[in-house]
Amino acid sequence: MMKVAVVGIGKMGLLHAGIMNALDGVQLCAICDASKFLLDFARGLKNLPVYDDYLTMLDKEKPDAAVITTPVFLHVPMAGECVKRNIPFLLEKPLSITSTDADNLVKEIERRNLTTMVGYMMRYIETFAKAKEIMTSGALGRLITFNATIYVSQLFQRGKGWRYDKKESGGGVVIGQATHLIDLLLWYFGQVESISAHTKNWYSQELEDFAHGYIEFRSGLSGWFDSSWSIRHHRLLEVTINVHAENGNLTVTGDLVKLFLDKKAEGYSQGWTNFYKPDLFEGVKIDVGGPQYTRQDASFIDAVKSKGKVESDVKNAYEVQKIVDAVYLSASKHGEPVRL
Amino acid sequence: MLDKILLGHNQFFGVNHLEAQTGNQKEAYFSDISRIMDIINFCFENGVQAMMMSTHERARLLSEEIQRDPKLTKNLGIYLLVPYAAKYIRQANEKGLVNIVRDSLSATTFQEKLGMFWRGGVGLLTKDAKKILTAMIDFEVAPFINLNLRAIFLHDVLTDLVLGWNMPNVLELFAAHVQEKYRAIPAFCTKNLPKLMNLLEYTAIKNPLMMASINKLGFQVNPSREAFEECLHTNQLRLLAMSTLASGYLKPGEAYEYLFSLPHVESVVVGVSRKDHALETFQEIRQNWYVIPSS
Repeated sequence: MMKVAVVGIGKMGLLHAGIMNALDGVQLCAICDASKFLLDFARGLKNLPVYDDYLTMLDKEKPDAAVITTPVFLHVPMAGECVKRNIPFLLEKPLSITSTDADNLVKEIERRNLTTMVGYMMRYIETFAKAKEIMTSGALGRLITFNATIYVSQLFQRGKGWRYDKKESGGGVVIGQATHLIDLLLWYFGQVESISAHTKNWYSQELEDFAHGYIEFRSGLSGWFDSSWSIRHHRLLEVTINVHAENGNLTVTGDLVKLFLDKKAEGYSQGWTNFYKPDLFEGVKIDVGGPQYTRQDASFIDAVKSKGKVESDVKNAYEVQKIVDAVYLSASKHGEPVRL
Repeated sequence: MLDKILLGHNQFFGVNHLEAQTGNQKEAYFSDISRIMDIINFCFENGVQAMMMSTHERARLLSEEIQRDPKLTKNLGIYLLVPYAAKYIRQANEKGLVNIVRDSLSATTFQEKLGMFWRGGVGLLTKDAKKILTAMIDFEVAPFINLNLRAIFLHDVLTDLVLGWNMPNVLELFAAHVQEKYRAIPAFCTKNLPKLMNLLEYTAIKNPLMMASINKLGFQVNPSREAFEECLHTNQLRLLAMSTLASGYLKPGEAYEYLFSLPHVESVVVGVSRKDHALETFQEIRQNWYVIPSS
């Protein structure tokens, strides 16, 4: 039985703990949180070791893997302690406050060849995975331009809690949510050449509630993204990516993929081909808050067992972090392009 | 006896599992609550006298509207789904889990409404996990207490979380509280019916009322349609079927023909937003409905 310990029992910690515990051959062995209230609550409902200090938990429980779901500023130090002990970990996104913070962590993980994963779960949503398949197939021909958005109706007054404290979260909508979109763009389009970006604070004093930017990729593809957590009429986090290419165009959201081709190519027909979620759905062992989380956690566990690969490990997340740095740097210089 | 057809309300509040954009457009149309009442009344007159309702902010307004009509207050069966998960997920993003519980528990209107026995107040209460849970349920149910509550469902986000954590005691606690305090049927919404049935074997909950997605495509059916069917054939439960059209992807005829080839389907929840569509849907279901053996 593989023992998994969870550090940080917030929304994401609860979720990962529940999924991991339900996977075959995996058992939740302990949890850790700074809130005495949450620990008392958990203790009242389940017979499970609880800790208020994660180092004590790691040393006493000796888990086979850890899940780290704490505020961002704690990610690098906590992941570092796991690395020291050779404990594979799944870390919630984003990786760190700045990419520089994670320099040594990334090197040490490579040196030890440790299995890691960072919570960019959108790669495990069927529609985004299908779009990746189509783009990789070459059916679209050379990609010319794209536009991409990520919106949610979340913040319409000053936020409370660590997510809205720049010291703890690293920033606003860019690092908190647009990182999901940036991760997808890097996954689809490869390395970035340069970025210019603008941000705007409105509801938050120190954090950006809106951000948009222009990205040039090394492949010659360029386009813009727009992100906000303060846009009305988006009950759930919604990502939309439109790509225009030599042989057609593609739109992908969390709900569907729409492909249009001038000429049939790589097994895809000429004209429109649509894939809706029901076309792509595959059941999972347990669904807690979305099948993508189960696929993600299962893929992490498999990788730990077999020393295999995962989508979105610390190295991928480090690349996302460099883009975040560039967005903030460019925005601080009124949109001056930043070369990567 | 359960109502055979239940009117769902996702379509009124912008929930669309096929396409978020469509959901948003419908939400705009139904922002005028009288348009929702119009559909409810129409369905009521056409024999569909029950409704699934989450504790969405706008469902509270709907509850007030329904209470203006004595006929609906008394006769419209309400199947309540608690808590409204999306709201808490948003609040968790906004202020964290601990603050959600604190804020909910210390809302004065809530204390007054329920006349709760506070003793040491919030501080003491928060030391008892079971009391926190039941108080949170009460907090959610309060705006709907005057309606004809037939069943109270634990939302799938919570049911499935509890399932993952392997805490059958929490499901028992929920069931006992709903039965004792509200005299309603305790029920569970889940995305993992077979796995949940396995867990319930270890509890005092027998022949439970379950709400789950089931359709010919196997959309939102875990771990697979085959395992789900197998579970229906080998367990004692009452199923309230949802997503029977796979979010509008299937034609009603083929969808209901499949649905009623399965055992234990006692109720179907449908999302209709137009009168002609409502009539057509009810007719399709009634045509395909099987006679439930021995119940």
